[in-house]
Amino acid sequence: MTKTIAIAGKGGTGKTTVAALLIKLLSQKGLVLAVDADPSTNLSQALGLLLDDSKTVGRIREKMAEDVSKGRLSPTIAKPEYLFSKIVESLVESKGFDLLSMGRPEGPGCYCASNEFLRASLDKLVKDYKYNYIVMDCEAGMEHISRQTTRDVDVLLIMSDPTIKGVTTAARMKKLIEDLRSNVGKVGLIINRVRGELSTEIKKAIDESGLQVIALIPEDPDMAGLEMKGRPVTELPQESSLQLKVKEIAEGLRL
Amino acid sequence: MAGEFHVDIGPQYEGEVIRKENLYMEFGGPKAAHKFELATVKSLDEIENEKVEIIGPDIGDLKPYDEEKGGGSYPIAILVDVAGGELDKDAEAIIERRIHMFTNMIEGWYHMNQRQDTWLRISKDCYKKGFTSLRELGEIYILLYTSEMSIIEKIQVTIITDEKKIKELLPHALEVYAARDERARTLNDEDVDTFYGCTLCQSFAPTHISIIAPNRIANCGAINWFDGRAAAKIDPDGPIFAIPKGELIDAVKGEYSGVNAIEANKSLGTYDRVYLYSAFEHPHTSCGCFEAIVYYIPEADAFGVVHRDFKGETVVGETFSHMAGETSGGKQIEGRLGTGLQQLRSPKFIQADGGLARIVWMPKELKERFKDVLEKKGLYDKIATEEDVKNVDELLAFLERVGHPWIKGEVQLPT
Repeated sequence: MTKTIAIAGKGGTGKTTVAALLIKLLSQKGLVLAVDADPSTNLSQALGLLLDDSKTVGRIREKMAEDVSKGRLSPTIAKPEYLFSKIVESLVESKGFDLLSMGRPEGPGCYCASNEFLRASLDKLVKDYKYNYIVMDCEAGMEHISRQTTRDVDVLLIMSDPTIKGVTTAARMKKLIEDLRSNVGKVGLIINRVRGELSTEIKKAIDESGLQVIALIPEDPDMAGLEMKGRPVTELPQESSLQLKVKEIAEGLRL
Repeated sequence: MAGEFHVDIGPQYEGEVIRKENLYMEFGGPKAAHKFELATVKSLDEIENEKVEIIGPDIGDLKPYDEEKGGGSYPIAILVDVAGGELDKDAEAIIERRIHMFTNMIEGWYHMNQRQDTWLRISKDCYKKGFTSLRELGEIYILLYTSEMSIIEKIQVTIITDEKKIKELLPHALEVYAARDERARTLNDEDVDTFYGCTLCQSFAPTHISIIAPNRIANCGAINWFDGRAAAKIDPDGPIFAIPKGELIDAVKGEYSGVNAIEANKSLGTYDRVYLYSAFEHPHTSCGCFEAIVYYIPEADAFGVVHRDFKGETVVGETFSHMAGETSGGKQIEGRLGTGLQQLRSPKFIQADGGLARIVWMPKELKERFKDVLEKKGLYDKIATEEDVKNVDELLAFLERVGHPWIKGEVQLPT
């Protein structure tokens, strides 16, 4: 069975960093499909991969729609198959994991059919490639979950910084997921860049949110160094606190 | 089944994927500029039976993919020539598509795409087992073709890796593909027994079913008859499904008993008749997803067409989005038809109402996009755009001036 882990959170909470470290960690245990579902961040860079911007799923979908409307796509090449092959072409293959970039969300017009074909293509991809894990770096609105291009999520990790605003945003995301028809197994809150103890106000906000804290991650001094040099986060030393925390999270969730 | 080959062959390998970590080398695909596969039906005397020819360097001569240095992607052309008394040109596409299935049936081989996008990968394990020549690939093709398609009496396979030679032959292959597409575009509703239905939009429009036929693309413009066939084959119980077209009740208006039955069943009994070739009486329902709207202009007793991208006002003073609000929701609305744009090319496009010759207005952008078909019907200069007229009075004057065939009474409605 493939385990799907979605990581969500507003910008600046370190969600892409945690996603990248989790992908690296899990890729030592099985084959991982890394999904960059947040067009405003850069999971590929965090993983130290070069990404061709023209190869996002969004672009593929747009181009297919355009080719269809201009009559450029062969009428005999079935679109479900065409979309699948373009998605395979856009996979960035790496050691132990493949990266798929979702790109920008859809523009105006009808995407019912292309999203249906996309969903079928992703199902087929996961089945054919026999991924053990899917790790998704989701944007705050979680479009792909809400649009049902991703259906079932085993673990949803919501990232927050140690602020009241961060925790209330996280609570809103939990609510959003619960309102959708998606099946989500476990939902956990991760608070990043914690200095010392959490304030009583934040503890109260967490209690009210109904979210379960599964990890507090302290500020990692190694991280700042990497960010300044523009190096991928996967170059963090094994013993750095972030690496150790991510390992702890994975173990705690029995991933 | 394998016998004299270095690897096993069978349907159990069809889902096998070769990722870069297990890649020995690849042919075609996104990294190779020139590649194609082509099946050609020839006469019996043109074929040297079961001959396999390799032109250019072979697997053993080429540098494999290297994790550090990359590389390992090469051009390829696969030519399958067949002959048989019962074989005709229409079989070429079907035979060619089998390259995909047959390659994937080979342990350690992977095939993606088709035509000028073909992409093959061979795994490290497969090479290690002794699969060092494309000749073996050709021999396997011949074995599989002759054992699975008894209609083939003679077959020869040529595999080319010499880029110069591939470049030379590619234009011919592209011509063949284009000619095939042209034939597919001329497939008519009369030629098939099965249409397809799509209920993907029923969450927005619970009584809407898009009927997909060779002469009718889905309203969203995204699903043609071939797509419907592929989708229904993958998931027959899914939102895109087969419809036995049944008896032809009205050839002019496009009424079929099978379509009526499915309409009644899937629209929760709201509608039990639908005309595929008319905007009147029982027009096709519209979801919210159509690419364009065909709308009746009473003053001219004719139609305008407006597409989603057109942001201005149409000749009747309404915008697309205003009109869309009234047209959508899965209702049958006389004189209002949500449609896919390619429908303008269909010979059955509102044929009962006079077809394209009854169109009197469309945005300039559409007129340019469909210039070829409009010119062919002598309509290009007869249809007004937003640049020619601003309201219905100006439209009527324009139509008089240019002598639109519908206004002049030259269009005969079919009976």
